Amino acid sequence: MAATQFVVNGLLVGALFAGVAVGFALIWGVVDIINLAHGEMVMLGGYTSYWVLTLITGNAEGSPLLFLATIPVAIAVLFGIGYALQRTLVSRVIGTDIFLTLLVTFGASIAIQQLAIQAWSANPRSIQVSFADPSMTLAGIVVPKMKLVAFAGALVLTALMYVFLQKTRTGRAIRAVSQNPEAAALVGIDVEHTRAVTFGVSSAIAGGIGTFIAVILNIQPQMGLIYTLKSFIIVVFGGVGSIPGALIGGLLLGSVEELVAGFASSQWTLAVSFSLLIVLLILKPKGLFGQEAEQ
Amino acid sequence: MSTTDEESGGVLRSILPPEQVDRFLGTCDDYGWPLLGLGALVAASFPLLGLEGGYYMTVLTEMFLFAILALSWDIVGGQTGYPSFGNMAFFGIGAYATAILTKDFAVAFPVAFLLAGLLAVTFAAVIGIVVLRLRGHYFAIATLGVLLVAQQVSRILEITGGASGKILLETPSAETFYYLFLGVLVFEMALVYYLSGTRFGFVLNAIRDDEEKATAMGFNTTYYKTAAWMLAGLFTGFAGAAYSLFNTFIDPQTAYNGAWNVELIAMALLGGSGTVAGPVIGAFGLHTIIELVETYAVGWQLVLLGGAVIITVIGFPKGVVGTLSEYASQMDYYKHGGMAATDTDDGSEVSADE
Repeated sequence: MAATQFVVNGLLVGALFAGVAVGFALIWGVVDIINLAHGEMVMLGGYTSYWVLTLITGNAEGSPLLFLATIPVAIAVLFGIGYALQRTLVSRVIGTDIFLTLLVTFGASIAIQQLAIQAWSANPRSIQVSFADPSMTLAGIVVPKMKLVAFAGALVLTALMYVFLQKTRTGRAIRAVSQNPEAAALVGIDVEHTRAVTFGVSSAIAGGIGTFIAVILNIQPQMGLIYTLKSFIIVVFGGVGSIPGALIGGLLLGSVEELVAGFASSQWTLAVSFSLLIVLLILKPKGLFGQEAEQ
Repeated sequence: MSTTDEESGGVLRSILPPEQVDRFLGTCDDYGWPLLGLGALVAASFPLLGLEGGYYMTVLTEMFLFAILALSWDIVGGQTGYPSFGNMAFFGIGAYATAILTKDFAVAFPVAFLLAGLLAVTFAAVIGIVVLRLRGHYFAIATLGVLLVAQQVSRILEITGGASGKILLETPSAETFYYLFLGVLVFEMALVYYLSGTRFGFVLNAIRDDEEKATAMGFNTTYYKTAAWMLAGLFTGFAGAAYSLFNTFIDPQTAYNGAWNVELIAMALLGGSGTVAGPVIGAFGLHTIIELVETYAVGWQLVLLGGAVIITVIGFPKGVVGTLSEYASQMDYYKHGGMAATDTDDGSEVSADE
């Protein structure tokens, strides 16, 4: 029975990992950049929600609806940050050595980290959402309500992004740029702007997920790197540019981590996930659902 | 690149005439060995001037340490074109090895130092077989993963003192460390300088420029890559081995320091990667700045480091040495009437495109 409980926990958290990874995969697929500051977007999203809630209620507590209302704010703020990041920094190194792009985003990541420590101190924080009855039991399995909300929220955000990419004009432009930037420019798409929008969308979904992480886990300035790395593992597993792959990868990683934490110790989760990554890279470098960027 | 050169050309030309730069760099090429020896002698004589045990001696020692790390990173990152974000794993292994050997097993420091280097090389060989099969993004993240896993493991194990680390009180004198780090640095510079003129060095650069072509030419690139990686592991391991006792304290955070890993990449890049002098110049320069920030603006080091990395990458991707020699190669342009002026720098841009 314990194993089922761990898997359920893992799936619930895994959806959040998947949501973060989807944004990461989008940048990788469209702009061909590994954004090492992606985890910082998660962190900033969490803090935005935290502070909006604190401004309204005086402390970081609130009803579920009030909390949900902070999510659009976090999404909007992070969209702006992502857009600016692409326009000011990343656009200057696109097309050079990939190593330089890694360094620029890593530089941004550590600078944001320390600025966050200066602004908010290194203490972990979390948002308290008040439910009358915080958890429920289904067939012997305990499901905290907030985790269920977060799970649903992550899936909704991912689905929204998928619809955005498939149905809207901007989404089509993004896919065009990912397939062939020169041809996209020829038919009148502003490639620089589209890439910046992509960066903004990717950061926005990371920020949105960050708000849920602030509720069910913790947020603190140095949390970003772990989420970036988990995204990398998930994207490698699911295949670059594949949104369904990222979703499945995220759910799987969550389950594996909860199982490791449950049967061994939570100290081992990182080591196990990375060992899995390295084995996977060697065996199947294109990922399980590997393909060229999403059509 | 070329546009910024032309813009700044006017001012730069009056300060540093390209023909003089050209001559200076030529002198460095022709008298490499005597210059290295002279530098070593000057550095070795500093403690005799009355610096012993003081603040400046510690700072100089740390500069040598970072120069070793940056140059080691550059053997694989700059010369071979495999940018590692996990070099500090070797450092941590070296650091923990000497800490455990000297404290728990009462091994003499020189023996522990050599054993630590050996251990780091062995680790590099094993890890290298796995990660050197990857390229580009995958290699960078896999090495970062190795570093984080090593850090996590040291936090769990009992022998490493867990998360609280190890305090080391019986350590050699400050002067010993000064000469030790200086000695390792000079030895490493001499080795890299020597290798850069041999087939080994040429094959490393060929791997960076086009690995498939190098393989097609019949070179066993796996052998060369792994050898370079082990060399980097050896010197990084030595640096770590001396560091734990120099610092009198070691814990997972300092031994496997991810920020340091970025710092030493920034140093190599700032000075000019792919050269012998570049990473060393970069280490001295950046460490001076970091030291100043740590004294006058505590808590902002990483903001500064991040800013420095971004400015370097965007403004001077070839570093001080690379930019200077590019500038000097404009001399050829004037001498030879505009033919084949900057032939060399296009090659490096394509290097790791995969």
